[in-house]
Amino acid sequence: MKILIIEDNERVAGFLIKGLREAGHTTEHADNGRDGMYLAAGEKYDAVIMDRMLPGGIDGLTIIATLRSTGNKVPILILSALSDVDDRILGLKSGGDDYLAKPFAFGELLARLDALLRRSQDAMADNLLVLDDLALDRRSHKVTRGGKPLNLQTREFKLLEYLMRHANQVVTRTMLLENLWDYNFDPQSNVIDVHISKLRQKIDAGTSRPLLKTIRNAGYMLTSEQ
Amino acid sequence: MPHHQMHGSGSFRARLVRLFPRWFRNQLLASLLLNCAALAAFCLPLWYAWNNQIEEGRTDLILADARRLAADFRARGVDTLATRIHDRVGSNLNDTQQVIQLLAPDGARVAGNLPYVPPGAYQPNTGYAFRIEQQGRTKILSMALAELPGGYHLWVGRDTTRYVALERIFILGMGGSALIVFLFSAITAARTRRTMLNRVQAIDRTTAAIVGGDLSQRLHPAHADEEFDMLTGTLNGMLDQIVNLIQNVRHASNAIAHDLRTPLTELRSSLEHLSITRPPPEPTFDAIDHTIADVDRVIAIFNAIMRLAEIDSGTRRAGFKAFDLGRLIGEAVEFYAPVAEEAGIGLNHLGADGLMVRGDPLLVAQAIGNLIDNALKYAGSGSTIRIGASRDAGQVIIGVADNGPGIAPPYRDKVAERFFRLDQSRASPGAGLGLALVQAVAHLHGGALLLSDNGPGLRAAFMLKADSAELTPPEAA
Repeated sequence: MKILIIEDNERVAGFLIKGLREAGHTTEHADNGRDGMYLAAGEKYDAVIMDRMLPGGIDGLTIIATLRSTGNKVPILILSALSDVDDRILGLKSGGDDYLAKPFAFGELLARLDALLRRSQDAMADNLLVLDDLALDRRSHKVTRGGKPLNLQTREFKLLEYLMRHANQVVTRTMLLENLWDYNFDPQSNVIDVHISKLRQKIDAGTSRPLLKTIRNAGYMLTSEQ
Repeated sequence: MPHHQMHGSGSFRARLVRLFPRWFRNQLLASLLLNCAALAAFCLPLWYAWNNQIEEGRTDLILADARRLAADFRARGVDTLATRIHDRVGSNLNDTQQVIQLLAPDGARVAGNLPYVPPGAYQPNTGYAFRIEQQGRTKILSMALAELPGGYHLWVGRDTTRYVALERIFILGMGGSALIVFLFSAITAARTRRTMLNRVQAIDRTTAAIVGGDLSQRLHPAHADEEFDMLTGTLNGMLDQIVNLIQNVRHASNAIAHDLRTPLTELRSSLEHLSITRPPPEPTFDAIDHTIADVDRVIAIFNAIMRLAEIDSGTRRAGFKAFDLGRLIGEAVEFYAPVAEEAGIGLNHLGADGLMVRGDPLLVAQAIGNLIDNALKYAGSGSTIRIGASRDAGQVIIGVADNGPGIAPPYRDKVAERFFRLDQSRASPGAGLGLALVQAVAHLHGGALLLSDNGPGLRAAFMLKADSAELTPPEAA
């Protein structure tokens, strides 16, 4: 995938370029708002990583607003040191698709970027989600593993649904918090881990091929790959 | 330069202003106006009585006199009346208080002591005041005209010149009273000013010392003037608050420094260790993972501080909206339920369905989360946590109670302070900002956090001010 990075901090940009290339993406980089605007408007990218405060007289939100006003729907991940709730809301309102505050973990950024990249291909209307021998029916609220019905509570069902929608993608704890509970704060305990381990007991217990995996320093992934 | 020319008058003006500051002049003016009003209220009726009653009475007397003389004239003729007039008043105005003048139809004087009639048209039976100049002296006469048969005119009256002096005395008296009043006002104002000045200077000296850094200074109440004691009390309260704040800042800075220094120290030494020992790749990566965890701790503390600052600034109030508190609590309980189950702690939601609250749902959720989290951390296995909410007299109380070991009374007020951690909690993760956040959120919503004994255990009451007028359920969405 071709990613545009608009970031004025050289070290952060270099770190992003290196990390994204290792993850198999191609990148282009602009270190000021003017160049960023020029590239984003002129070329076709699969996603844009956008800093908010940029030199060159044009800030990130202005670029986003301009792109959106011309009908450009490229997924945009805002990366900013402005981390207040209001800043986040403003960023998403002006047309950003996701908002990540600095300092950030690269695993978190990669997971969110993946989610953005696949959003366009996502068939939201699918009522039957299948991964390997795990199947989830959204209409009847039934989950089966190898044909055997599993008894999930509502929240466990929602959690599994989210993981299946993002199958083969890393899903971070904050993504789960934001998308499933609407909490944008860090709960002091490892609550998410406990939720995951309960879900894991239900879907993976007694099978030789566990599907729900923990990705170190990042989060979780539901995948059939061993 | 004009500045130069103005200097002299400017300094004089400045001195005048210093001697008679604006408030002093205002007070003086006010007191003067008040006293003059009182004086006028006293004198004006007197003046009115004088003018109306006495003047009118005099006119009546004069008219009666005129009627008597007219009767004489009709009965005995003009000569008899002329003689009688001459007998009574002679021909000189200075001789007597009475003034009488009989005029022939052609206007010639027949008898009497009025030197002349000032020009003008006169009606009979009406009182007039004449100002007569005679031998260099001014006479004020009160006169009335009577018409006699045969075209004769008769002027009868009194010399009221001496009353002019009385009037003058009256006015002088009033002016004198006004002057005395003015003097008293000035003296009182000056005395008040000096007293106030002394008090203000005392306050000024103390506050200057405090500004200079001596925070132990306090103002002393005078016990004499209540207003100043009120002010003194307020100022002392303010000073206590400032000292409190400074101590808090100092305490918080120390705590931040301590809480950040610990992970930073660990971070630094592990990195240094790696750099010196150059271990093989595997242990190196393990060590790096540890250092990342250290950095994450620093970031978490930092985020918590930023969140507190954001709440304290009050900007989040702009985004207040009505939300279902019962549902919010239900979701929080559901969120923490697996953790409670794993820790062997009961988590009971007492239910508060449809309890609408106006506020920031995200912050309230975080606050409730922190309270549950705290209870889960410290209540201990086998205990039970109960969570409920109720509306009571203008406020909504969210209660989170456990039956664990609780907090000893002396520490109950302390635990909500920023970065305060009980010794037994030092080992568990967190920065000592959990309850501080709950308290800040409560303050943002016009409420408070109250910790009490649950006998046994801890009961945290998280209160929000509820203005019920705005608490209509939102449209079904």
